[in-house]
Amino acid sequence: MKLSRRTMLALTTGAIFAGGAAAAQNMPAPFDNPGDVEIALVRYLSTGDFFQAYLGGVEAQAEALGVNLRVLDSRQDAALQSDMVDQAIALGVDGIIIQHGLTESMQAAAQRAVDAGISVVAFDVDVENDAIPQIEQSDYMLGSLALEQAIADNGDTFRAAYVYVPGIAPLDRRDVAWQDARKANPGIEEVAQFGTLDNPIANSVANQARSVLQANPDITVVFAPYDEFAKGVKIAVDESGLSDQIDIYSADVSTSDISAMREPGSAWVATVATNPSVVGEVSVRTLAMMLAGEETGDSVVVPPTLITQDFLNENDISNMDELSAQMPQFAHAEVSVPDWMPLPPRD
Amino acid sequence: MNPQSRFIDLAIRYGFLVLLVALVVMFSVVAPGFAGAYSAVFIFQSVAITGILALGVTCTLVVGGFDLSIGSVATSSLMLSAYAMVVLEMSAVTAVILCLVMGAVVGLVNGILIVRFKVPDLLATLGMMFLLIGLQRIPTEGRSIATGMTLPGGGTAEGTFSPGFLLLGRHRFDLFLENLLPAPVIVFLVVALVIWVFLELTKHGRLMYAIGSNERAASLAGANVNRYKIAAYMISGVTAAIGGILLAARLGRGDIASGNNLLLDSVAAALIGFAVLGAAKPNAFGTAIGALFVGVLLQGLTMMNAPYYTQDFVKGAVLVIALMFTFALSERKKAGGH
Repeated sequence: MKLSRRTMLALTTGAIFAGGAAAAQNMPAPFDNPGDVEIALVRYLSTGDFFQAYLGGVEAQAEALGVNLRVLDSRQDAALQSDMVDQAIALGVDGIIIQHGLTESMQAAAQRAVDAGISVVAFDVDVENDAIPQIEQSDYMLGSLALEQAIADNGDTFRAAYVYVPGIAPLDRRDVAWQDARKANPGIEEVAQFGTLDNPIANSVANQARSVLQANPDITVVFAPYDEFAKGVKIAVDESGLSDQIDIYSADVSTSDISAMREPGSAWVATVATNPSVVGEVSVRTLAMMLAGEETGDSVVVPPTLITQDFLNENDISNMDELSAQMPQFAHAEVSVPDWMPLPPRD
Repeated sequence: MNPQSRFIDLAIRYGFLVLLVALVVMFSVVAPGFAGAYSAVFIFQSVAITGILALGVTCTLVVGGFDLSIGSVATSSLMLSAYAMVVLEMSAVTAVILCLVMGAVVGLVNGILIVRFKVPDLLATLGMMFLLIGLQRIPTEGRSIATGMTLPGGGTAEGTFSPGFLLLGRHRFDLFLENLLPAPVIVFLVVALVIWVFLELTKHGRLMYAIGSNERAASLAGANVNRYKIAAYMISGVTAAIGGILLAARLGRGDIASGNNLLLDSVAAALIGFAVLGAAKPNAFGTAIGALFVGVLLQGLTMMNAPYYTQDFVKGAVLVIALMFTFALSERKKAGGH
């Protein structure tokens, strides 16, 4: 069923392309008339730097393509998000990006969109549909790259504290990397595990970390695979005066993270991150490839980058823009870039 | 009075304090590193911010009201101080004054909504809560504030948190030991003392209690009920703003947060406070002890590697027991009075 529907789609778009041979631009249909193409971004999470930057990437790539973008934001309301997909179907959009959400609530809605002949991609939510490619930022790689750096810096034998809250999908995937690293390196001892998502998260985690450091003064490595966790641990380390003794390894990055990592004597030595705006761009590009009838693969992974304190200091980087400028592999991902794809301006 | 009921009276009066001491002893034995001056001070530090907010809530509870907006006032003050220093490049003193004024204005608006427009307190402050959660994000389009951030209109923010401001959250004073007492703890103790003196020892405080127990009677006795109610919300707003300033100074950046956890934790502390010394009413001393009680439990549990959900469970259990104490007690008092 799905295969034939896909072939149908390819055939129709192919036919349109053949018909519109006089296209002014070198883009395949339907992008020869990009003003007629309408895509919708249906969001589950939107609060915070990461999601703001993701939206920025989506907007930039949509503008580069010249297509119309509608943003539907359910603000963590799973039922509303599902309704918004139906709304997008009713609006007659050509493509939908589902950004986060719950498998249970989005699976049926995504299927309805596919049934309506709409191209759909999903970012960081598994909608269990073969016709829908997954855009991922590879949380496992985020975790494992950070841990490789921790082992490179500290050897394979150390006493570590681990910050984790189970039940949050990206943290669960990063947790697999931690478990694997411990299995491969029996010298790594997890002496304490803690974590909370009570906001402000950094403040709550700082309170916990203070207790943990007090109870286990021999910890040398803290693995905090979420930047809010790392920020909290850093506050606790500073307050306990243990900055020289402890190294913090984390995931994600933002401008304020960069300044925290670069404070003199900061214990936060490395983080691994995918650029959220790049993930946003890749989401739109992948959707555009589907609309043009090209093969995208079932999962599109945006590779993460290791960012060390030393690198930030050597290049005197103080915000995300400078980080992008100094680290091309962070600023752009050569993912979902067929020849015809117009890219947002790169400086 | 027979010995049995005397024992029950003692239990109600001192039960919570005894429990607090027992917990401290237990954790000192079980959790390595729990006993010690730094650890004790740290417990104060971990509850300082929620404690300050709880003291504000106590004032609104005293006049028979309730303030749901304190958490968002605190996070708004966090964002405002960051915005003032990092984006507008103002001085620390200006930032602090701005935050305090903001807290007072929010309290004034809450009070006017409740007193003049007759909006029920829970609804008025709920509305204010949502309003502030949204408002604090508008200037930065939902981004957190840090030096070097890209501004919505292009360009980067060049200002920094001034070192003096950061000291409010990070400086530690020497007391017997070096670097022992963190600044927020001192602010917490001072605010607790001021509110305690105000509520227990001044005419105004007593009038506020009178308004809380019988608004009409207090009004007939000549108290300006409306003015005191508005004052209570303004105190609540200002203390919440102080909490937010300390939070900003500790975090060193303007973090997007709804502050709901701050609200819930501080309300819990104030309610636990009802049970302390068998007061059965909101009181500043009880609130401070209530906050400490939660702090001791959380610090001890974290040291013993208890996962986060057990901590919520324990918080809830303490609250339920405290409420049981309080309401069983007020029944007894009523029964005794007739």
